[in-house]
Amino acid sequence: MRRMLRLHRIFVAQYMKNLMEYKVDFLTGAISFLLGQVIQIAFLGIIFSQIPDLVGWEFNEILFIYGFSLIPKGMDHLLFDNLWSVGYFIVRKGDFDKYLTRPINSLFYVIAEKFCVDAFGELLIGLILIVYSTVQLKLTITWYMIPLFIVAVVFATLIYTSIKIATSAIAFWTKASGHITHMFYMTNDFSKYPTTIYNKFVRTFITYIVPFAFTAFYPASFFLTGENPLFCIGGTVLASVVLFTISVCIWNKGIKAYESAGS
Amino acid sequence: MIYVNDLSKEFKKAIKEPGLKGSVKALFKPNYEIIKAVDGISFHVPKGEMLGFIGPNGAGKSTVIKMLTGILTPTSGTCEINGHIPQENRQKYVKEIGVVFGQRTQLWWDLALRETYSVLKEIYDVPDKEFKERMAFLNEVLELDDFISSPVRTLSLGQRMRADIAASLLHNPKVLFLDEPTIGLDVVVKENIRNAIQKINAEEGTTVILTTHDLADIELLCNRIVMIDKGKKVFDGQINDLKREFGQMRDLKFELMNTCDISKLNYKEDLKLSDDDMKLESEKAIVSVRFDSDKVSVEDMLSYTLSKVHVKDINLKDADIEEIIRRLYKREVSIDEV
Repeated sequence: MRRMLRLHRIFVAQYMKNLMEYKVDFLTGAISFLLGQVIQIAFLGIIFSQIPDLVGWEFNEILFIYGFSLIPKGMDHLLFDNLWSVGYFIVRKGDFDKYLTRPINSLFYVIAEKFCVDAFGELLIGLILIVYSTVQLKLTITWYMIPLFIVAVVFATLIYTSIKIATSAIAFWTKASGHITHMFYMTNDFSKYPTTIYNKFVRTFITYIVPFAFTAFYPASFFLTGENPLFCIGGTVLASVVLFTISVCIWNKGIKAYESAGS
Repeated sequence: MIYVNDLSKEFKKAIKEPGLKGSVKALFKPNYEIIKAVDGISFHVPKGEMLGFIGPNGAGKSTVIKMLTGILTPTSGTCEINGHIPQENRQKYVKEIGVVFGQRTQLWWDLALRETYSVLKEIYDVPDKEFKERMAFLNEVLELDDFISSPVRTLSLGQRMRADIAASLLHNPKVLFLDEPTIGLDVVVKENIRNAIQKINAEEGTTVILTTHDLADIELLCNRIVMIDKGKKVFDGQINDLKREFGQMRDLKFELMNTCDISKLNYKEDLKLSDDDMKLESEKAIVSVRFDSDKVSVEDMLSYTLSKVHVKDINLKDADIEEIIRRLYKREVSIDEV
């Protein structure tokens, strides 16, 4: 574990040096990302200027849920972004060879190789929204909320990551699976709003099948209301542990099916 | 050291009819065929040997190397290297091997070459002191100093290959796998790289397995070759054995006194030889005849030539390994003879 952390630090340092080689590209990426977020929030504001509340949740509460959803998403984006490349081209082009000829865990190596700085935009906006809505709602913060918040964020992040691991590992059989990852990943948009606004099918889907609801709405609703900690936080931990175990199994099986590319 | 036993690898390949229509059809009703890329290969390599692995394009060389390096999982059969099975306990195993794929680089593309080595040092857990000694040695053998501060993307192919080989040797591996290490390089760089490989093998006793299309690599570096074709082993032995067994081709070269005499030479009819058995080329007064000494003896060939024409100069030599292998590739020599 210590070795992994040290290696991770080294990889990140290398990646940052890399980034500095292409400053313009990096800046453009960061600015466009920030713009995208600002537009989405402005859109929320417009909707709420027309309606007083959304199935019992007022504007600031929705802002809190939305802000919370950005934190695990941003963490996953920051640390585990390279998984996208596995599904889109690393496997198809046979570049995965390199990860298998190094004496470190291949999954760890793929993940550690990239450090997506753009994600700081997401994290920053998420934090601003949480603080702003907390103040607006005059939420009382009890001491145990802090560790629970950290636990919720860590395991919620792992839900994102696990879904990406499992879907990108499909590429080991199909050669490319980037679009499959994209399809599953995009359902996270549902989690930014209260699940109660959806019909039964969508609700079941994002709770039990691709449990994105545990990355935002459920934990956030606990922090807003203080109700149902076992389901809201415990459920996040459970869902993420189960999903992570399954996805690592798929990954390891996938490596055995990996076919490289001709040379 | 390296034991390969009945190793096979099958790939499932979708058969598609050409064009968009075929692609759409394949989407709904895929047809698969099983392709045996490697078909029951066995061989053994003792420690410190340099083994040349040759075969035509698509013969399955890279697939074998990829199974030996743990990248691919064999469909059946086993390979064992240093007591490890590559696919099990992969992380521990790859610490003891070095791998270079000539067609792709393992260097950090955008960073100074030096950075690649410092990252690899961490990945392989090489202690500081050893790292310094190692770099000094590799520097001496591969002359990295001129470009060690340049970003990898700016290196020439020859520099990159030297850098790649150095990268694979940083952790002092017991076995070095080189998949086409001299591909696309000029004569001087090829020479450098061959010397480096030879030096590393001699000084450290590193076992080297190398695939190549450049037969000079084989002749200069390897004492033993394994040749595969269509996934099967067709030859395994010393280069000299190969020459003895298949090297019946001779080159007869002579210069005519009178250029017009060439029409008097009619080897094929007079000595009853087929197109495969002999080939005649001439440029003005210089004539060269390549013939199979199994089909016609050297003596008959010489006496026939000298009885028909007057020559200024005549010279006879063995065909080189390239010719032998060309014939093997073309299946002119059958496997039964091995």
